[in-house]
Amino acid sequence: MPWAEECEEGAVWVIMCAAVKYNLRGPALIPRMKTRHRIYYITLFSIVLLGLIATGVFQFWPHSIESSNDWSVEKRSIRDVPVVRLPADSPIPERGDLSCRMHTCFHVYRCGFNPKNKIKVYIYSLKKYVDDSGVPVSNTISREYNELLTAISDSDYYTDDINRACLFVPSIDVLNQNALRIKETAQALAQLSRWDRGTNHLLFNMLPGGPPDYNTALDVPRDRALLAGGGFSTWTYRQGYDVSIPVYSPLSAEVDLPERGPGPRRYFLLSSQTALHPEYREELDALQARHGASVLVLEKCTNLSEGVPAVRKRCHRHQVFDYPQVLQEATFCMVLRGARLGQAVLSDVLRAGCVPVVIADSYILPFSEVLDWKRASVVVPEEKMSDVYSILQSIPQRQIEEMQRQARWFWEAYFQSIKAIALATLQIINDRIYPYAASSYEEWNDPPTVKWGSVSNPLFLPLIPPQSQGFTAIVLTYDRVESLFRVITEVSKVPSLAKLLVVWNNQNKNPPEDSLWPKIRVPLKVVRTAENKLSNRFFPYDEIETEAVLAIDDDIIMLTSDELQFGYEVWREFPDRLVGYPGRLHLWDHEMNKWKYESEWTNEVSMVLTGAAFYHKYFNYLYTYKMPGDIKSWVDAHMNCEDIAMNFLVANVTGKAVIKVTPRKKFKCPECTAIDGLSLDQTHMVERSECINKFASVFGTMPLKVVEHRADPVLYKDDFPEKLKSFPNIGSL
Amino acid sequence: MQSWRRKALLLALSASWLLVLLGAFPLLRLAVPTRPRAGASQGWPRWLDAELLQSFSQPGELLEDAPEPPQGPRGGSCDWGACFDASKCRGGGLKVFVYSAAGPVSETHRRILASIEGSRYHTSNAAEACLLLLPLTRDSSAGECSPVPPQWNGGRNHLVLSLHPAPCPRTFQLGQAMVAEASPTVDTFRHGFDVALPLLPEAHALRGGAPGQLRQHSPHPRVALLALAEERGGWHTAGTNFSACPWDGRCEQDHGPEQTHPGATLPNATFCLIPGHRPDASHFLQALQAGCIPVLLSPRWELPFSEVIDWTKAAIVTDKRLPLQVLAALQQMPLTRVLALRQQTQFLWDAYFSSVEKVIHTTLEIIQDRIFGASAHPSLLWNSPPGALLALSTFSTSPSDFPFYHVQQGSRPVGRFSALIWVGAPGKPPLKLIQAVAGSQHCAQILVLWSSEKPPPPRWPETAVPLTVSEGHRKVSDRFFPYNAISTDAILSLDAHSSLSTSEVDFAFVVWQSFPERMVGFLTWNHFWDEALGGWGYTAERANEFSMVLTSAAFYHRRLRAGGPGRSRSPQSATASIRWRQGSATCPWCPPASVWTQCSSRTRCPYYARSIAAWRSPRREQRRPQPYSRGRPICLGGAERGGSASSLRTGQSRRPVSQCGRSRLANHSPSAPEGGPSPHPPVPQLAAVPLCAAPALRLCGAGADPLPAMPFSTSLPS
Repeated sequence: MPWAEECEEGAVWVIMCAAVKYNLRGPALIPRMKTRHRIYYITLFSIVLLGLIATGVFQFWPHSIESSNDWSVEKRSIRDVPVVRLPADSPIPERGDLSCRMHTCFHVYRCGFNPKNKIKVYIYSLKKYVDDSGVPVSNTISREYNELLTAISDSDYYTDDINRACLFVPSIDVLNQNALRIKETAQALAQLSRWDRGTNHLLFNMLPGGPPDYNTALDVPRDRALLAGGGFSTWTYRQGYDVSIPVYSPLSAEVDLPERGPGPRRYFLLSSQTALHPEYREELDALQARHGASVLVLEKCTNLSEGVPAVRKRCHRHQVFDYPQVLQEATFCMVLRGARLGQAVLSDVLRAGCVPVVIADSYILPFSEVLDWKRASVVVPEEKMSDVYSILQSIPQRQIEEMQRQARWFWEAYFQSIKAIALATLQIINDRIYPYAASSYEEWNDPPTVKWGSVSNPLFLPLIPPQSQGFTAIVLTYDRVESLFRVITEVSKVPSLAKLLVVWNNQNKNPPEDSLWPKIRVPLKVVRTAENKLSNRFFPYDEIETEAVLAIDDDIIMLTSDELQFGYEVWREFPDRLVGYPGRLHLWDHEMNKWKYESEWTNEVSMVLTGAAFYHKYFNYLYTYKMPGDIKSWVDAHMNCEDIAMNFLVANVTGKAVIKVTPRKKFKCPECTAIDGLSLDQTHMVERSECINKFASVFGTMPLKVVEHRADPVLYKDDFPEKLKSFPNIGSL
Repeated sequence: MQSWRRKALLLALSASWLLVLLGAFPLLRLAVPTRPRAGASQGWPRWLDAELLQSFSQPGELLEDAPEPPQGPRGGSCDWGACFDASKCRGGGLKVFVYSAAGPVSETHRRILASIEGSRYHTSNAAEACLLLLPLTRDSSAGECSPVPPQWNGGRNHLVLSLHPAPCPRTFQLGQAMVAEASPTVDTFRHGFDVALPLLPEAHALRGGAPGQLRQHSPHPRVALLALAEERGGWHTAGTNFSACPWDGRCEQDHGPEQTHPGATLPNATFCLIPGHRPDASHFLQALQAGCIPVLLSPRWELPFSEVIDWTKAAIVTDKRLPLQVLAALQQMPLTRVLALRQQTQFLWDAYFSSVEKVIHTTLEIIQDRIFGASAHPSLLWNSPPGALLALSTFSTSPSDFPFYHVQQGSRPVGRFSALIWVGAPGKPPLKLIQAVAGSQHCAQILVLWSSEKPPPPRWPETAVPLTVSEGHRKVSDRFFPYNAISTDAILSLDAHSSLSTSEVDFAFVVWQSFPERMVGFLTWNHFWDEALGGWGYTAERANEFSMVLTSAAFYHRRLRAGGPGRSRSPQSATASIRWRQGSATCPWCPPASVWTQCSSRTRCPYYARSIAAWRSPRREQRRPQPYSRGRPICLGGAERGGSASSLRTGQSRRPVSQCGRSRLANHSPSAPEGGPSPHPPVPQLAAVPLCAAPALRLCGAGADPLPAMPFSTSLPS
């Protein structure tokens, strides 16, 4: 609450001022005073302090008094809302326009200046409408509609500035058509301040139509207003304009129903609706007669004792069942059309984790614009009702369990409360207006467990890049110029090399002059960095024009041209993986209860060193901008483990293992200090193990995948003339 | 005096402090405007008597709906439940009858017919058909488009298909017929009943189709960000520094490199803006093929196959009334999303749009999905590679049963395999082989297919796993029949005379688990274009590359054998020069039986034409001499199984390294033009060579080096 905030501010001010005063005057003066004066001054100070405290109290009190005025204004009673008298001849909007679509009837300009791709919703203040003779038009507001407007008001969508709003929600409650007078409600709508033929207005209605013909959409003339309605049929639903919402079931919301996991249940098929057309009732009875105990058809109880709420009980012959608990006993539950298409039982059924069998031709299922109902329900045409048992039996058990899980998830996410319904509705409209920022199918439909377990590989298209494109070699160097020049000369012999990029990581020393660099056949660029950081090696430089990137250290001079070319060929076959030479493994250390880094001879591989590795340049982008947690800064601080971090990153986003190529195990050469020279060091190994544990905890899982194979050229070590082999010069270990 | 002054000073000070403190706050509050109080003061009020409010419906009301007889359709509109009689489609699934044209058969009509005939949907008997297809063609006899067909019946169960917008008025009422037409408007489109088609150009390929033109995943840094479709056809690219120029044709004022691409030239840009006029519908497909993300500036058009295809993954449908917002959104779109959209355009193009046949089959598949109801394709199967035309819902509707979705689902293939041993003419029980396979820790069952004239021996060796012998199969392709007895995802296909060791089998299975969507085998073949015979040939000789592994010893996924009899096409009828019995394609997405028509030309094997060209080019020959004579094709059914088996026995497979899969990669020379036409005449009926050239690599055990392998003292946590 705002006044509380200001109070806190005031309090802080007071304390701070007191401290300042005491520091400036008190300690500096008091020691020099005489005793008499000291007493005097202490009295004075206490007066001042008292004054200050009084100030603080004074600051505090008026606020709360003022705020309590606010508070009382805010916490009004519904009976006190202003009354608006509607003249009998006030205008009535036209009937709903069936041809309305977002591009014809919706004023999208109004949403033009909403930041962050979020529409802004304005709610009209509550009024009580009466007709000429003073008779109210409807109940002022229902509990659910009040909840709904509260939910909108508390959400990010809400704005109190009518001029910035893109969507308007009237506070006139039209949830239930039976509870209102149609003509007068329409007149009330028409006199809203921004009505403008209903453009950008959103009405919520759950029970449309009335006897005898029960229309499937709200009968109140509403012109161009959007309608979020429960029980649309294909004839009244304006695809892409209206929103189909569920019929909220207030009764069941009060019942505490613990979740029940998927799996086989006592009854295969259950019908719990009480008011059904006799034709359907006959069909159901026939079903039960044919299939016996696996089908349960419930009816209204006739002879309940006093005090038992009839809506919470269902009966079959003389057996009494609790409703909605009984729904949890069935695998499939019927949702038949009643007088209206939308049935509140759908919500109960989903909640019980029972798969709804929807038998209501032309019914638009709730939120069908975004929800994939095939995953959570079975829709059977009315004429096929007698076959429903065999249709359901043909569904494999695994799929049924999947549907049960999905049904429960739909209820939790979009049916559970009025708030969930309201927010889902606004989200759908928001997605239409900002389609480039819309939630995806997966975000709408996948339950959290699936979202957690699934991996969406960013390079999912099995696209083999053209060989002619070649690769860009990136050499990270500090000051080992001689060794660097040898690497450049060696790498430039690889036929597919397209460009060579030297990342000069030494800020204290300039790179050698142009004339000193080796002359090679491909462009060579030197990038100077601002800071000596290991992550510079994985920066997505604009100079990288090829998709393939070869990261290579400035001391890896032992790789042959054939090996590198072959590595590139393998990368082309697996462009979404890391393809490298020396492989490493992570192991679980049972004694220490943590991960351990392994560079010894093993049958398995889970990482490759990026001292020489091919990968897609997209992973550079991910490493630099999307690395989870503090891994990037951790690597830079420790000057180690950037390769392990890259292995974790790639395995985590693709869900795939690395590819190790050629038998090469170590980068060892007599005259250079290879990275493995370091690797042998015991402390180094401990540090690397620490990296793995650190990264695993940041990722929250161990993404690395272990494989037991590597890639060699087809004719490697075959008894075959060497000169006929494509890659004869594959080095040894 | 001094003390007095001090006192006065202090008094003044404290008084001023008090004043400041007392005065500052009210002043401050006046000076600093209060922040707008979000929610609380101006928002929806918390009513004091909210608890007393009544529910919108009375307790009984929801239950006591007055019963009402079911309502029939009203208005002239139709939906699936009301206007389609699915009872005719029980049993045999979707059977389609195509009306023949009254007059001369038009080209469009002929192509529609051709793509349905030979598919599993086709029937020539109108009485048994559940869907009657009436092609509307523009060039049938003058004046009228098509007469009312004989079995019209008010249009019930009819699909009126117009591939190209019909210029002539329809001479009859559509009645209850479904309409499949190119880019309908959302106003007239009946959701869940009509089918939206893409607007195909006249010269669209009948089969196979041109591959998508995306050559790389990420956009090239120098490529233009935007291309704008122009009204007369053609494209207009704007530089990366653009303003709101695509609107109102004000692009002329724009700085940066501009280019106009006339006619059919496909734009090289990241986003393709397509205004909402009807002729622009053809631009949509162009952009899709080019991998240029289509940005539709009008939501008026129903996108093709929108019932099943999730277009939010491949295109952006927006409103040109919000120009600044749209442009800003495109500029700021994260690379991850751009990558995903671009790849999806290519997948969709290849899976559903690249040929007339695919468009027609997709239409029928959608209708079949409606008939199937609960056992239709899940959305995942439609919207991720390889697409619903290849991942058949008749096999399974659960994505984890297919080898393609393990990564997305976070699942793994079942950790066992079934061995299928085919015993041919000699009729000698492969006892050694059975022992070797049964010794594998991953083996779940062994199935012996006894196809010899001789009766099988009455006694079989005792094995640790169940052994089943089934007799009476004579046809070679029976080995690919989807036997119900097979319970595992992985199948090890073996010939009786193959000889393998247990550890070879184990290793191959481990490799297969890493690549469940591929075939993993021991022996390899290569294919090549034989100029002398004008057809494809294959060779079993050792080479640096390969494109096939033999099913005489190979692992593959169960789903690959479920191609469905109706979909298969006899290989012999497809080409004259090759018998494809023994080798099966490595192309992972093609069931062996349906390799011919179903494997998209590009999904796995984009460079077949060029690869062969390059393979023959002298330059390449210098670099990598081929060890075999290409003038002598070893195809023509000449290579008997015995031949390959002998090489199996010559000890190659004994060495652990050579059991590794071998594959070959198209090594097209840089001189071959990108996307250029194939130098070879296309093989009749053969839309594309599905074989995937693979890189010159094989997979070997990580511990295959001549050093003692380290036994693990530690193991991974479960």
